[in-house]
Amino acid sequence: MLFFSFFKTLVDHEVTVELKNDISIRGTLKSVDQFLNIKLDNINVVEEMKYPHLSSVKNVFIRGSVVRYVHLPSGAVDTALLEDATRREATQASARAKQG
Amino acid sequence: MSFFGFDTSLPKDRGHNPKAPGFSLAPDPFAGLSSRTGGGEKEVLDFEDTYDGLGDQLDETGDAFNDDTFGEEPVGKDFDFSGQTSKISGTMQEEQAFFDARQPPPKMSPQKLAAKPVRSGYEGYKQADYIPSLEVNASLWGMPSKAKSPDLSASHRQQSSGPSVQIGRKMMSLEEVEAAMRSQSQKPAAVQQSAAQHLPPPSQPISQAFPQGLSLPGYPTFSAPSPQVDTTQQRASGGPQMLQRPTKASDQQVLPHNGAQGVQAQTPQILQRPSQSQAQPPTLTPGPQASSNRASPQSIQILQNPNRVPGPAAVQPPQVAEGVGGMAPTGPTHGRGLSGQVPIVTRPEQLLGLSEDERAAFLLEDARRAKRNHKIYLLSKDNGLMTPQDKNFITRIQLQQLVTATGNVIDEHGPEAALNEDFYYQVHAQIRGPPRQNPHQPLSQFAQTYLFQTGGRPGNANRRHPRGGENHVQRMEQQVQRAVEAAKLKPKNKQLVIEGSLGKISFSNAKTPKPLLNIKRPESRDLRSQSGTHVPTRSNDSVATRRQTLKDIERLYMTLMAMEDHERRMPPPPNEETPADLIQEHIEWRQKMQELNQSLWNDLKVMEPIDPNSPIGHPFMAILSLPKGKKVIPRVFRHIDDQQRITILTMICLYLDQLDVVRLAAPADPNDTTATLPPPAVRDSVELFSQAVMPSLFGYVNDAPLQIVVGLLGLLLDRVNTALILRTKVGLAILTMLVSRAELIKQATSAQSTQGINEREWQQWNALYNQLFDKAEPVLPYIFPPSTNHPSDADDVHVWQFLAAMAVGANEDQQRRLVVAVKDCVNDTVEQSKALPPEIAGRRLGNVNLFMRAIGLDVDLLQR
Repeated sequence: MLFFSFFKTLVDHEVTVELKNDISIRGTLKSVDQFLNIKLDNINVVEEMKYPHLSSVKNVFIRGSVVRYVHLPSGAVDTALLEDATRREATQASARAKQG
Repeated sequence: MSFFGFDTSLPKDRGHNPKAPGFSLAPDPFAGLSSRTGGGEKEVLDFEDTYDGLGDQLDETGDAFNDDTFGEEPVGKDFDFSGQTSKISGTMQEEQAFFDARQPPPKMSPQKLAAKPVRSGYEGYKQADYIPSLEVNASLWGMPSKAKSPDLSASHRQQSSGPSVQIGRKMMSLEEVEAAMRSQSQKPAAVQQSAAQHLPPPSQPISQAFPQGLSLPGYPTFSAPSPQVDTTQQRASGGPQMLQRPTKASDQQVLPHNGAQGVQAQTPQILQRPSQSQAQPPTLTPGPQASSNRASPQSIQILQNPNRVPGPAAVQPPQVAEGVGGMAPTGPTHGRGLSGQVPIVTRPEQLLGLSEDERAAFLLEDARRAKRNHKIYLLSKDNGLMTPQDKNFITRIQLQQLVTATGNVIDEHGPEAALNEDFYYQVHAQIRGPPRQNPHQPLSQFAQTYLFQTGGRPGNANRRHPRGGENHVQRMEQQVQRAVEAAKLKPKNKQLVIEGSLGKISFSNAKTPKPLLNIKRPESRDLRSQSGTHVPTRSNDSVATRRQTLKDIERLYMTLMAMEDHERRMPPPPNEETPADLIQEHIEWRQKMQELNQSLWNDLKVMEPIDPNSPIGHPFMAILSLPKGKKVIPRVFRHIDDQQRITILTMICLYLDQLDVVRLAAPADPNDTTATLPPPAVRDSVELFSQAVMPSLFGYVNDAPLQIVVGLLGLLLDRVNTALILRTKVGLAILTMLVSRAELIKQATSAQSTQGINEREWQQWNALYNQLFDKAEPVLPYIFPPSTNHPSDADDVHVWQFLAAMAVGANEDQQRRLVVAVKDCVNDTVEQSKALPPEIAGRRLGNVNLFMRAIGLDVDLLQR
């Protein structure tokens, strides 16, 4: 849930989603779900000349499993908080593992 | 076996009459044909029968008189071909044509028969083509019995069989055949009547025992119309035919004729028609049974053809018509059903008696009802596409999605778990302004909201459909409850442990998409790893040390987070009115906080003895040497008391030269006077230290009394190589911090009064200051960072700050010495800034001015 939680804070920020088929799409993150499916608005493809078929697309829904990277706006990321969240997640995971 | 000697066996027991097929009987088109083949069929097809018989008249053997016939002359060769022979050939052609012409009738009869089995009771309404088939049926029914009955009147028999024999012997002309067929087709009823009358006892019950209504569907010939009568007459003619049975005594004389006519020719046809359509009705009407029987055809008609109901319907009570009439003013309604009818029956009269207003109100109401009915009609268009079960199923799926998506963890552990699960978002939202929801609002409220909504919609419908809706809401609520229950139960068997396997299979749900294999970590391994960590520490393995330090830092963070969580749970501070249990709660909270503080303090390892084998030295310094450790300090400082803070500060001062940001930034050789720039990684960590740790230290020192400042400075000068730390940014910053604080205290106390001044402390301070000045003076030219050579990005503000702080506290002699020491640097900077862009130049000159103003000068003086 960490990434879900994290991406939720990036809603309405501009992100670049790099897909596993090498297409990079920049757009405003509109929503994300627990499968990290991503909805982008006002998109444009980074290499528009290479993928002209996407030039008329305005918004996309990206299945989470096809995402390779999400380029984050660094200003919107609270690193310390993210570290803490990671620690919590790890603690919970280990606690769960121990608990059975 | 019956008392009266009747055949009491029911038709079904007797088996179905094979020649009178019922509804479900498979059609046997040749059933009738086979019954006839014994008679006429063969006659027709036999060539002997078609032969004119002229040859028979020749006496083949009587050659004796040939001479008399042909004369005694020898036979000549002049045969007469055009005479006798041509005559014969002409006869042969005639014969051929005649034979051909005769063929069709026998062929047609099977076709007519084929139509018979498909008897539905409606044949009578069909075209005349089918009527011959009716005749066939009648013959099937009646003829065989006739043939079988030996006591049939001899005359009748003669009449019926005689002619047929004659026909067999004597050639019928084509016209005769056609006429016979036409006559047969037009009087099937007559034939049947005769058959019915002359049925032998065994078969009589069939026709008589059958009530009229019953026999009709099976034997529609009763009502079969003659081709001449139209459908309206048909009713009349159908009735009389059946009515003939009771009155057969009167018709007796006619009927034998009819039977004979069936086979004979035109004359019966003429007789028959008047008897059916005209003669019979008069005979019937006077009969006493006529009136009673007249009703029966009607009812039979109804049975036979429900579509003809309009007649009786029109006779129905006038209420219906009135109801329809009363409805009419209300406008066109589609649902003129039960709901509309009930009030309307009594209304039309009432409506007249109503006042204008009432009538208007009534009409309005009616219009509304009509509108509603129309709406219902429109809505009901798609009714029945989904069954209630389908809808419930869909709803349950949706609700379960909702519950599993947001509900289960919260239900189990409350909002605290929600915070754990969604920590980043929750806290981020708290810090950066809540975008949508209160961060501490439990997520389950989502589920609640949605469930309420779905429960509310049927509630609205409830208003419209009072009874059905209620039930639906109840079921919906149960559904929701069940869904929630199911979702609560579900997490309990989230995992499947297969016997003998190492791991366990866990089922994914929306909350935890893919923890497919979850290996249980044995508790012992944790202990082992803890005990094992000491080994690499002793083995001087720097990687292992670093790893151990990182682990220490992580533990520190965990404790810190526990403290922060605990702090969030702080109960309201107690006062006099606070109930005892709340005070108790508060006390417990404080105790817990104390424990956590202690463990945090332990985790910091500030008080731990220096490990002589560690390359880093003091464990606390090791923690501070890592970026993570640096970053944790500001958070730690919020949770520790002043005593702990001063201890940390003391430790830092005491081991300042061990601190990585000092140790690595300082020149390796203290005697090396050339200014060197520390490597980039070190510069980064120095920067981080300045941003993370220094503000915390500075914040504490800013409130510290002179005593502490004196103590710290004394410790520094006593234990640390001052010349070395002077050449590092962090060292300079700490010294600046202490000196400036002392100056501020001095100014503050002197401004108030001289009473509070502790003379002994000031003497101590002055001694320390002098000691520092003496130690610093030789290195002053080198404390400037080497980047001064690259003037545009000079990072020397901390140097000027230090010089300024020193200058403030310095006496005149010391100030002069300071100026002498840094004069070159000042001049250099001023000179460089002249060549720089005004912005950077101004910044740099401002830095210099910090020092210049401290000694009562200004850069502007130098620039002139």
